[in-house]
Amino acid sequence: MSFFENLKMALSSLRAHKMRSILTMLGIVIGVGAVIIVVAIGQGGEAMLKTQITGPGNTIEMFYQPSDEEMRANPNILLQAPFKQEDIRALEQIPEVKRVVASSTQMSAARFQKKSIDVSSTGVNQAYLQLNELKVAKGRNLSTADFLGGRRVGLISSKLQEELFKGNNPVGKIITVANQPIEIVGVLEKPSGLLAFGSMEVYLPFQTWKIIYGSSDFTQVTLQAASAEQLQTAGKKAANLLNKMHNTEKSYQVINMEEMAQGIGQVTKIMTLIIGSIAGISLFVGGIGVMNIMLVSVTERTREIGIRMALGATRGQVLTQFLIESMTLTLIGGIIGIFLGWGASGIVSFFAGWPSLISWQVVVGGVLFSMIIGVIFGILPANKASKLDPIESLRYE
Amino acid sequence: MIQLESITRSFALGKEQINVLNDISLTIHEGEFVAIMGPSGSGKSTLMNIIGCLDKPSSGHYLLNGENVSDYSEKELASVRNRSIGFVFQQFHLLPRLTAVKNVELPMIYAGIAKAERQARAEEALAKMGLRDRMDHLPNALSGGQKQRVAIARAIVNKPKLILADEPTGALDTKTSMSIMEQFQELNREGVTIVVVTHEPEVAEYTNRTIMVRDGRIQSPSVADGR
Ligand SMILES: Nc1ncnc2c1ncn2[C@@H]1O[C@H](COP(=O)(O)OP(=O)(O)OP(=O)(O)O)[C@@H](O)[C@H]1O
Ligand SMILES: [Mg+2]
Repeated sequence: MSFFENLKMALSSLRAHKMRSILTMLGIVIGVGAVIIVVAIGQGGEAMLKTQITGPGNTIEMFYQPSDEEMRANPNILLQAPFKQEDIRALEQIPEVKRVVASSTQMSAARFQKKSIDVSSTGVNQAYLQLNELKVAKGRNLSTADFLGGRRVGLISSKLQEELFKGNNPVGKIITVANQPIEIVGVLEKPSGLLAFGSMEVYLPFQTWKIIYGSSDFTQVTLQAASAEQLQTAGKKAANLLNKMHNTEKSYQVINMEEMAQGIGQVTKIMTLIIGSIAGISLFVGGIGVMNIMLVSVTERTREIGIRMALGATRGQVLTQFLIESMTLTLIGGIIGIFLGWGASGIVSFFAGWPSLISWQVVVGGVLFSMIIGVIFGILPANKASKLDPIESLRYE
Repeated sequence: MIQLESITRSFALGKEQINVLNDISLTIHEGEFVAIMGPSGSGKSTLMNIIGCLDKPSSGHYLLNGENVSDYSEKELASVRNRSIGFVFQQFHLLPRLTAVKNVELPMIYAGIAKAERQARAEEALAKMGLRDRMDHLPNALSGGQKQRVAIARAIVNKPKLILADEPTGALDTKTSMSIMEQFQELNREGVTIVVVTHEPEVAEYTNRTIMVRDGRIQSPSVADGR
């Protein structure tokens, strides 16, 4: 007897007890749906974290980690800015590097009239503007002329505006930073997100910053590559170049993104596995429901089984019939569960601001898995059916 | 066609062994129409189950069409039932969720016959039983006589040489019983061997030979060989 024949038979048996079939399926729908949601959100989160370490616009941060020897030679080395101006110029020569964004930060007092507040004062180079990291809400952004001329202008964070100006428009006002007068030309946007507390910040063109603080060194350097593929190469070349220039072995480094990505992947996989196995328990319970209903069905249909055997059905054919029936039940439940999980993870990710990812592997896996569940939990009832004695089954009331 | 040699069938009932069939030897030739009669509990159904390959004898040999089916595996027996034997039961034993035509198709499904041919042959068999306008009815919507005709259609659809009917008229009124027996007579004229178990002498009258069973033995051995 063909598979198609069996499938039609299974569907008609399931249709004969609609309510019961639907309720049994519900267990599988919920189980598969839950697993799909967990996997979708897990994979989405993993993808999101991976893009976050890569940074927007293919950027990678450089950092300086002095060796023990360097520390012994100069105990204050960590207080000094590790990147020189010629470093930046050299980094800009690397073909894979599109931009070198450099900045330097120091804590200083910012004063307006009588009021003085400690702020972090950051000098940024012009590449900073192109990266579009600083979004201006009020006034204007720093301009090329500001950078080239080393004008005494700056941007302040919205938090600083609140504290220093009580919300009054500060654009055009003069404050002092480290006792040097600075004209405020713009106020930055409030950082978005629940966890982002605003901080007290002033941004100055690096030329200006250099004059105020008397240092032309940078504390932070971020590289931007032309493409994501070139990012790792650009980072490696940059680190090698700086180590050579400073005569250090490996004090200048970039984050090894492959390792990071692997680490993050591992963490999210473990998380997905843990939560997924909890969701899997509901799937298991659903499977037991299927087994239970199939056992009831076999008992109810004892006479049918006897008749089929009298008409020439082999034990194998009876077994197959019931296996396909339970498989059909879980397969339909599984497919509905996949769609439901898809929809639900979409809703969850919409509210959590977290992408969800349903790959075709997950869909195919889900379909296969629900079929396997049908086989696992159907084998006992189907076996029971195939072991029935035809004569006794025909007598069964 | 059917050759039973010293067949016994015993069941274990607790510690005791009860012999339901004792040393039965019986020959039924091709084309015969035979009635098996006897008191309740005498072993008629047990005998029919063995002839129908639903059960195996505890000892003795059973030759069906010259083949020793007592040695057959369960799978082979299923195939014999499917191709060589048609069953008709007292309680009709139709599948309640299938229409008449689908019920008749069942044996052909297990014979691996393609859908189009199945349908054509099932309709032909039902038409032969005078049920042309009842093809798509569920068993519930049929009278007892009509149900039994569907069952007969199902029994003949794989064109077996042998039909076994265990009290086929037991649940029917006299008039319907007679028309069912006429149906069997017609089939027998076409060459099908038919064995009917019955309690009613009127039913047995339609057959050519009556075998009496009592306490698991054939009572009049002189007629047991069919000559
Ligand atoms: N599986 C079994 N286990 C134990 N005893 C059985 C079994 N099947 C049948 N018997 C016994 O065998 C005897 C014959 O049963 P069988 O059904 O063959 O009788 P029968 O002649 O068909 O009777 P009836 O006319 O009432 O249908 C009965 O006493 C019955 O109790
Ligand atoms: Mg009986």
